[in-house]
Amino acid sequence: MRHLFLIDEAEHEAGLAPAGDGLHHLLVGADTLAVALEGTQLVTGGRRDRVHVAVEGNVAHIHLDGRAFRVEFREAMARFAKAGAEGGADTLVAPMPGSVVAVNVEAGANVTAGQIMMVIESMKLETAIKAPRDGIVATTHVAAGKTFNKGAALITLAPIEEA
Amino acid sequence: MTLSFPFDTVLVANRGEIALRILRTVRRLGLKGAIVYHAADKGAPAIAAADIAIEIKGVTPVAAFLDGAQIIAAAKAAGAGAIHPGYGFLSENAGFATMVAAAGIAFVGPLPDAIELMGDKVRARKFVADRGFPVAPSAIEDDDPATFNARARAVGTPLLIKPSAGGGGKGMRIVRDLALLDEEIERARSEGQRYFGDGRLYVERFVENPRHIEVQVMGDAHGNVVHLWERECSVQRRFQKVVEETPSPALTPEQRRDICETAAGIARAAHYRNAGTVEFIYGNGEFFFLEMNTRLQVEHPVTEEITGLDLVEVQLRVAAGEALPLTQGEVPSSGHAIELRIYAESPSRGFVPTTGRLLRLDWPEGPGIRVDAGIAAGQAVTTAFDPMLAKLIVHGATRGEAIARARKALAETVVLGCETNIAFLDRLLADAVFATGEVHTGTLDARPDLAAEPALDEGLRRRLLAAAALSIRPVRDAADRIPALHAAMGGWRN
Repeated sequence: MRHLFLIDEAEHEAGLAPAGDGLHHLLVGADTLAVALEGTQLVTGGRRDRVHVAVEGNVAHIHLDGRAFRVEFREAMARFAKAGAEGGADTLVAPMPGSVVAVNVEAGANVTAGQIMMVIESMKLETAIKAPRDGIVATTHVAAGKTFNKGAALITLAPIEEA
Repeated sequence: MTLSFPFDTVLVANRGEIALRILRTVRRLGLKGAIVYHAADKGAPAIAAADIAIEIKGVTPVAAFLDGAQIIAAAKAAGAGAIHPGYGFLSENAGFATMVAAAGIAFVGPLPDAIELMGDKVRARKFVADRGFPVAPSAIEDDDPATFNARARAVGTPLLIKPSAGGGGKGMRIVRDLALLDEEIERARSEGQRYFGDGRLYVERFVENPRHIEVQVMGDAHGNVVHLWERECSVQRRFQKVVEETPSPALTPEQRRDICETAAGIARAAHYRNAGTVEFIYGNGEFFFLEMNTRLQVEHPVTEEITGLDLVEVQLRVAAGEALPLTQGEVPSSGHAIELRIYAESPSRGFVPTTGRLLRLDWPEGPGIRVDAGIAAGQAVTTAFDPMLAKLIVHGATRGEAIARARKALAETVVLGCETNIAFLDRLLADAVFATGEVHTGTLDARPDLAAEPALDEGLRRRLLAAAALSIRPVRDAADRIPALHAAMGGWRN
């Protein structure tokens, strides 16, 4: 079975298979490569490299050749889940990481298009998060003073009810 | 040297690497270190290093550090007789320095009037020019419209004409030939009129490919002032310094003496006390006063490396009323030092700040290598504060040795969990533009190739996939569930 990996956001495919005695084969393209990770030693074929790996769930942060990489294992299910989430246009997400300066609305509040609902600070610049349309606030996801990452949900508006 | 300070506790009104660095000296001198902190920094090494830590609050973490009244209250609660402001935040706030003094606490920095003078860029420039020190020649039309063209001519070429009401580069014209001056003035006037509804102009000398060179000065309460040599800080991105070094590779020994003595003269004229930095713009063999920073600088360690002084110790002694520990002739300049700022940022995406939890942090060690870091593994990097994670400082007998040492140290630096500029710094140090020292403040903008991530070659791509596949649990577990024999038959593609 081949797995999907993202190396710094670009997609790559590779498989891993046992080769007996605790050894593994990496299946990449049409090739099979004997690989092993022994502490800080990465063996690939006949080559040995010093490597540092820190794993966070499905993400491996790898320091190799003097550079740091983020390699993410993307499970097949996660690919669909992500596509579904992106359809939710009622949620305003953070364009970049930052912190919340002020929250001007609470759940249940009526807002009109262009109304400033939240003020965030990113890269030392304040940005107003405005209502994209008239509606009702369903959820405020982050409180004043809190920080958030890029892509984090900030405010969700209640879906428009069909008349 | 006596060790009797009129205070036994020093409050550090700062965070991160500089708080830790100040506390190190405070403790070494036998004083107690207190610190104020915001909850966003929970787990930071500076809090653990302090004898007393007092939480401060604010609408944002930065707002807490700008709340002078809260900080003075914390100093009183901690029994601190001195406040060290570090850099940024309230370090150059004359009102805060006044409040601290009024509370009977020693402010580790200059007197409020010096902060105020140098904080007003127009007043500072006039102060410096009036005392005969070099400022970039300029002419303001409003001063005397009738003589403007003649005064503009006296500025000399190349010169820059700007609309007085302008901004954003609109209506600005560079003049390299004085024969064209009158005609360019008329053109700039009509552009100013069109863009801003105001045709008044301002002319100043244009410095091409300017370098940013600054000089560390230190004064005491007894009228003594010394300079502690210069720092070259031309490698910048988004107007922020990335690499600093001393001595500057641009200056001849005579120019070095001139610029350093000019800085000391300016500080002396201002009756300056404590640590300060006089910044100059340098180009084509000429230098002009830019501004003076009335605080300890981020890049002060390179000065410490070549002089052997602990600048924070000198600051504390001066604040305690002691005289400077050395005269100008006794200030050494030994070898070459370089500082590299390690930022949580993505060079390939326009140097935008990055975030993440620091999963692994290995700093280099060895002779001539110093790391000033204020963050520990496990801490989260957020955008609440400045993206600088640490400073890597190297010292060598020569510039070449310092560069080689810096590259070796960078290769041993491991930061995982948050993207940094470490690999970019190595590409910069490896490039001929840095090796020759031919840098100016626009160098990084002119060389976007240095910021770009090199493409993954097939070998590296495979090694990364191997390391990831072997370490990510679900991938490894899935592989180990397949019997080796079955795998050998090639049944993995279903």
